[in-house]
Amino acid sequence: MSDARIEGYARALFEIARAEGSLDEVEDELFRFARSFESNDALRSALTDEMVPADRRQGIVETLLGDRASATTTQLVAMVVGSGRGRDLPEIIDRLVARASAAKELAVAEVRVAVALSDDQVNRLRAALANATGREVNLKVVIDPSVIGGVIATVGDKVIDGSVRTRVEQLKSLL
Amino acid sequence: MSIMQVIVASGEIDPAQSQNWLLPATSEIIYGGLASIIIFSLLYKFAGPALKKGLSDRTARIQAELDGAANAISTAQADAANIRQAAGDIDAERARLLAEADAQAAAILSDGRERLTVEIAELEARAESDAAGLSGRLNDELRVEVARLSSSVVDEVVGRSIDDATHQALIEDFISKVGAGS
Repeated sequence: MSDARIEGYARALFEIARAEGSLDEVEDELFRFARSFESNDALRSALTDEMVPADRRQGIVETLLGDRASATTTQLVAMVVGSGRGRDLPEIIDRLVARASAAKELAVAEVRVAVALSDDQVNRLRAALANATGREVNLKVVIDPSVIGGVIATVGDKVIDGSVRTRVEQLKSLL
Repeated sequence: MSIMQVIVASGEIDPAQSQNWLLPATSEIIYGGLASIIIFSLLYKFAGPALKKGLSDRTARIQAELDGAANAISTAQADAANIRQAAGDIDAERARLLAEADAQAAAILSDGRERLTVEIAELEARAESDAAGLSGRLNDELRVEVARLSSSVVDEVVGRSIDDATHQALIEDFISKVGAGS
């Protein structure tokens, strides 16, 4: 999809979520769905296969998100998938998150961890990243078992890698 | 019939009157002598040149034949010399050709040996290179396989070895370092 079209979808989703008054919630839910979409091959295949009818793909989305996300989030994802843009869903959502963060003058900080963080850890990590980058951050936590342990934080182009996975990779490269 | 008998038969001389039974009468000698002289003179005058010419021609013909024979001998000798020379040339040419063939054969043999030596050296070098490459490739493949196997094992072992306390410790350590690094 062209960059302008992705940006158009992101802007549309952003405006709908803001109009619904649930931008923060929708943004967070969409972000987590996008990460799941990226890491799950079966889900990605099901939602991007054009041989599968649009209403069937939308039915899959509603089944998956129906009781786990807000109605707005479910409807927005179903709309994108039904229009045949499922392949671009992660990028559309990332643009939406970036737009939402920019509206709040925040930088998006994606944090990948192997286990869930407590609220206290999230707050302290947000403050630490704000200190490190010099900007307030919109923290997005992704549970990613491939991290094995530790944290990988990405703020814009800056990556702060304190993961066990990277250390293991370094060890493997020595073999 | 002898001359004496002719004379006696003519009746001019009587043989009984001869002074010598062997010699004729003087007159007979004189006449006979004169007649002989005349005959020989005539012969000398009229037949001599022809005789001389005949002899001269014969001499010339014989000389010509001798000269021809000498020329033939000379020609034959020259031909023989030429033949001998040609034979000698043929021998020399044969010897030269044989020597040249020997030289070419030796050169071909030498070149062949050198080429074989070079080819053998190249084959040996290539074989060594291939062996080294194969060894290196096998080592690389082995290393990759070991790395692949150890990689999956390491991920699993490390993942199991990290308990919740370790997770928390790693996260806290990260937060501390990032916060302190501002």
